[in-house]
Amino acid sequence: MRPIFDFLEQDTRLASLLRVLLSAICVLVLWQVVSLFVTNRLLLVPPADVAVALFHEIQNGDLWTNAVATVTAVVSSFLVSVAIGIVIGLALASSRLLSLTGGPVLSALNSVPIIALAPLFVAWLGLGFASKFVLVLMVAVFPVVVTTEAGLRAADKPLIEAARSFNATKLQIFTTVTFPYALPFIVSGVRVAWARALVGIVVAEFFGSFAGFGFAILSASQTFDTARVLGYVFVLGAMGLIGSVSFAALERHLAPWRQE
Amino acid sequence: MTALLRVDNVDKIFSRRGKTAVEALRGINFSIEEGEFVSIVGASGSGKSTLLRIIDGLLEPTKGAVFVDDARVEKPGRDRAMVFQQDSLLPWKTVIENVAYGLTLAKSPWPQASKVAERFVAMTGLAGFESHYPHQLSGGMRQRVNVARALAVDPRILLLDEPFAALDAQTREIMQTELLKIWQESRKTVLLITHQIDEAVFLSDRVIIFSARPGTVREEIKIDLPRPRDLELKRTPEFVGLVDHIWKLIEAEVRLGVTASEG
Ligand SMILES: Nc1ncnc2c1ncn2[C@@H]1O[C@H](COP(=O)(O)OP(=O)(O)OP(=O)(O)O)[C@@H](O)[C@H]1O
Ligand SMILES: [Mg+2]
Repeated sequence: MRPIFDFLEQDTRLASLLRVLLSAICVLVLWQVVSLFVTNRLLLVPPADVAVALFHEIQNGDLWTNAVATVTAVVSSFLVSVAIGIVIGLALASSRLLSLTGGPVLSALNSVPIIALAPLFVAWLGLGFASKFVLVLMVAVFPVVVTTEAGLRAADKPLIEAARSFNATKLQIFTTVTFPYALPFIVSGVRVAWARALVGIVVAEFFGSFAGFGFAILSASQTFDTARVLGYVFVLGAMGLIGSVSFAALERHLAPWRQE
Repeated sequence: MTALLRVDNVDKIFSRRGKTAVEALRGINFSIEEGEFVSIVGASGSGKSTLLRIIDGLLEPTKGAVFVDDARVEKPGRDRAMVFQQDSLLPWKTVIENVAYGLTLAKSPWPQASKVAERFVAMTGLAGFESHYPHQLSGGMRQRVNVARALAVDPRILLLDEPFAALDAQTREIMQTELLKIWQESRKTVLLITHQIDEAVFLSDRVIIFSARPGTVREEIKIDLPRPRDLELKRTPEFVGLVDHIWKLIEAEVRLGVTASEG
């Protein structure tokens, strides 16, 4: 056993991948065993059933239809949120007036659970793409705004002074110091935004849509098809995980000096 | 012969609304000839860094002025370059990019800038580390990069703010001899701030002693020790005598500074 443990503790990509796989397998096995004892299939279905349900959805094409609806809405809205969030964050960080007047409003909005307004958005914008797009935008934009402003304001004073001492212009200070310094902060905001965007899209689809993962989960749960519900939740979880891991990797890549 | 750098009656008072004003510098007067190596020693908080910032053009004096070649200093310029007390390398740039930073800010194209930077990387003993990042270097190496970055813009006056303060004793001594070598090769005018009296005496033609806050020029001492100097010099009675003399001059001030900052 010893050498196996030693191998898994290594800090390599292979070892960390194996660690994830191993813990996933443990969870699946445990789940399968527990579902041998809990036999109410409304409460708990074994992972094998979930896999079958998911496979069925792939075969009949529903998974694809729903994926197209969800992914187009969430990705387009997420990208727009990031762009708008960075622009607003830049504006707030560059103008004291804006940050004094707009800042409190934004942080108030940030702490309001905007997701609760989902039914209203659906009423205003109707069923389908528009209401999903706007709801996702509303929940995903704030983390980007907040981290962009904070990152731009955090820039190290000595670095700025060194740039000034070399006669740097305001624009040069921004491009060579302030912005690179803020970049990893912004990416961490983007990572949070992606997680929030996924929650936003599911809720939006619960309330008003004819297609998408949220829609599929809702309709499956209305027919008490727990395996199908969990199948779609699994797909959403995978999307969340992939986003989170890749943005975290990007953050590390952009700011390797913060690791040590 | 007119001086290259002239500090003329400089006062600096930091005043911010709602806070008591801090008088950092009062009536500072001195000048430095071309090619001279001058050090400033003084208690912590006596305004040494503030004075260097004013000379560099980062801060405005409250009264008085600084002149380089009889031109009044109003902002940072290419004739001066500063090595800061704090770590101020860009962590996302490699050694070579950091050394070339001042040149790229001055719009020098990369092939030229990197060629110049390479020369100073080699001069400061960093050859082979061009593509390392600052966090992969030791403290001593980071300070070499700082010095190389300042030298690379080919300033007439090099302003050094306690560049070796964070280094251990051995590394500091090595850096001192290397700084002397670089100074002899490049014939720059150097103004160095330091806490170490023996460092000031070892390196300088002249040592300016500051009083505690508000900083004033307490005394100027000419160091007539022969050059080129090596570490042997530090054990000669002349050297020890000079260090002792300066130490006595600022002892009271340092004690004042220490008790003030503790209290
Ligand atoms: N931007 C500032 N605003 C207000 N006060 C300041 C500012 N910069 C420096 N001071 C004050 O001016 C005084 C002199 O500071 P300075 O950093 O020049 O001292 P120093 O001689 O370099 O000290 P040390 O040897 O510890 O580096 C200190 O009392 C400091 O608190
Ligand atoms: Mg200082």
